[in-house]
Amino acid sequence: MTDHLPAFIVAVPLLTAFLVFALGWLRRELCFPVGLLGLGLAAWSCVGLLLEVLGSGPVTYRLGGWEAPWGIEYFVDTLNGMVLAAISVSAFIHWIWSAPAVKLQFQDRLGAIYGLQLLFVTGLLGMTITGDAFNLYVLLEIASITAYALIAMGEQRAALSSLNYVFMGTVGACFYLLGVGYLYIMTGTLNMADLARLLTGLHGSRAIQVAFVITMVGLWLKMAFFPLHGWLPNAYSHAPSPVSALIAPLMTKVMVYVMIRIDLYVFGPAYSFQKLGMDRAVVWLAVIAVIMGSIMALAQKNLKRMLTYVILVEVGYMVGGFWLGNRSGMTGAILHLLNDVFMTLGAFMAVGNLLYRLPGCSFGELRDVFSKMPFSMGALVATALSIVGVPPTCGFFSKWYLLLGALEAGQYGFLIALIFSSLISVVLFFRVFEGAFFRAQTHENAHHQPDHTMEEAPVQMVVPLLVVAAGLVALGIFSAEIVSTIVEPVIPPAFF
Amino acid sequence: MKLLGFLIVLITGAVLIWATGEFPDWGDPGSPASVHVSPRYIEKTLEETSVPNAVTSVLADYRGFDTMFETTVIFAAGISCFMLLRLFGKERPETLHYRHLLTGLTIRVRRRKQSPEQLEEFEPMDSLWTPHDLILRTLCRFLIPFIQLFALYVIAHGHHSPGGGFQGGVILGASLILLAISQDMQSALKRIPERTLAMLAALGVSVYAGTGALCLVMGSNFLDYAALAGLFRVDPVEARSLGIFLVEVGVGIAVMATMILIYHNLASEGRLDEGL
Repeated sequence: MTDHLPAFIVAVPLLTAFLVFALGWLRRELCFPVGLLGLGLAAWSCVGLLLEVLGSGPVTYRLGGWEAPWGIEYFVDTLNGMVLAAISVSAFIHWIWSAPAVKLQFQDRLGAIYGLQLLFVTGLLGMTITGDAFNLYVLLEIASITAYALIAMGEQRAALSSLNYVFMGTVGACFYLLGVGYLYIMTGTLNMADLARLLTGLHGSRAIQVAFVITMVGLWLKMAFFPLHGWLPNAYSHAPSPVSALIAPLMTKVMVYVMIRIDLYVFGPAYSFQKLGMDRAVVWLAVIAVIMGSIMALAQKNLKRMLTYVILVEVGYMVGGFWLGNRSGMTGAILHLLNDVFMTLGAFMAVGNLLYRLPGCSFGELRDVFSKMPFSMGALVATALSIVGVPPTCGFFSKWYLLLGALEAGQYGFLIALIFSSLISVVLFFRVFEGAFFRAQTHENAHHQPDHTMEEAPVQMVVPLLVVAAGLVALGIFSAEIVSTIVEPVIPPAFF
Repeated sequence: MKLLGFLIVLITGAVLIWATGEFPDWGDPGSPASVHVSPRYIEKTLEETSVPNAVTSVLADYRGFDTMFETTVIFAAGISCFMLLRLFGKERPETLHYRHLLTGLTIRVRRRKQSPEQLEEFEPMDSLWTPHDLILRTLCRFLIPFIQLFALYVIAHGHHSPGGGFQGGVILGASLILLAISQDMQSALKRIPERTLAMLAALGVSVYAGTGALCLVMGSNFLDYAALAGLFRVDPVEARSLGIFLVEVGVGIAVMATMILIYHNLASEGRLDEGL
């Protein structure tokens, strides 16, 4: 049975999505438990597969029973095993957490929205697990189409933001597909391992060069890397809060994973780093991404919108760290990929809790919210500490590796950007907490006691959030183990 | 800004064309695409899958997993349209229109006045409704069965000639959209209600993914149709052909239902009343 775990990971949420959509018309109350079961099974399979890969090395799975270059193959090593586990576990937590808000907002189209959420998760899992460059594109389509539709369900300007995202996202996906097309014309194969083998003989080709650049630009567009980030802040801040808490942590991170996979395992480190010599330029782009993202975050007056700019900063960290081209930088980027899934998940879940009770989350509306919603705000503080990079939380450790990497590579610009953005994020979050906690007393006059009754979000929304917040500390404590067992083995020995 | 955009497009296009200079010539038998994986598809399709049409066997068997997700893309587009556009009686017009079923007379009722809803001879309609055109209606009623027959042929004959689930499903969907255009949406919805369409869309994609899962249950890899040999009582190669047919039927059902669902929601702006 464990031989078929890779097939389960994608097939179970896929079939659950169809079932949940049908149940939306038949027995609406069953949508939630059936989806929970499906995602639970997927998470269990992912964790099981990760353990198997840790025990006995990479796993391949032939779909349809056809061997690799002719059929489609799944390939799982610890890198995508880790990403799969992160996606499925966070989707499972999100499913429990989002149920009250989804029921409140989308009672009349429950089957459709739950079905699309499951399809979105299926798309991400499929993109992560596949060992076939074209199969990756097909699942990218599924994840993108569902994301566009889910984002457009938000209030006010969400439809316009989603349309903007459709245009940009389509260009990104097309660029990736063009790159794959060029690779296919030059090599005649779509399988990643087979491509890697055939590409070693084609390092001088200019068609391959263009394919590399265009694939990277497409992926950067999808992950909102500066200067291709224009679509993200509007799309993620106008999306309904249950949706943004699912899409924001996962979509950009999976695209970063795809970039790492394509660069290290299709084009290979020798080509991506030594042959083209574009690594320094990319790191400088990342420096601008981090600094601009931080400054733009500082200019925001709404917590949710501010967090969307924090995502841009984090993408800059990961892309920059990866392109430093040394072991520490790459370790930092991969570890940050894992940590950032849960940091962003925690941040957007906390915002979702606030929005469940408050009319909006501009800084003015957050006044006195600490006494009203202590647990949600407590979790937000833990998440903020991790985003800033305060020790026992996981954010510290990945940032430490990134700093080391920048130092070793002699990229002092990136070093300064890292420190600068950490300081900015202290200011960012202190401003939020200052408004939400301290200002309460100063603004209320002596005659009028502030209202201290608790108005916490439902238990179903608080407990998952606290689990994520605790998880951030746990990830921090176990980060040494994660680096030595999961991250180290997947970095090619070419990097010392 | 416009000029900058134009320049970027120009440069990107120029670079893409510049790189094509290295591509092998059109129809070059020695090109990598023709010598690496294709020969096996061309030479072994019949003996490995018992399907004479290599396109079908690559699409639905060798790379059948991609096609499963292509079908899912269509399904996702359909339910996205439904989710975004469908209105559930939120915006009722000021006045309501009803049509008497037997005589075809239409009446207009102000809101909160007496409505004939309790009478079964009336059906609700909207103000844009126009009387049926006899010639169009008769002609389309005559054409639709033949279109549907052809659609079934295209689905079933995908093994031997161009065709298959996607094409046949589109034709089948188009025949029912023709019904909705030539008469009105209510007549089309009376034949296949919205709920049935949604069920069919989910059923179609489930047939595909379910066939894959069935192969798992039979002890083989996902979508390895050879595992179905015992079920169909044929040899494993023949089973592949039957497996392909099974998933093509699923694709046909899903594409048909999704097409109609998208049409209904787009044409009536999500109200599902009279349509165009």
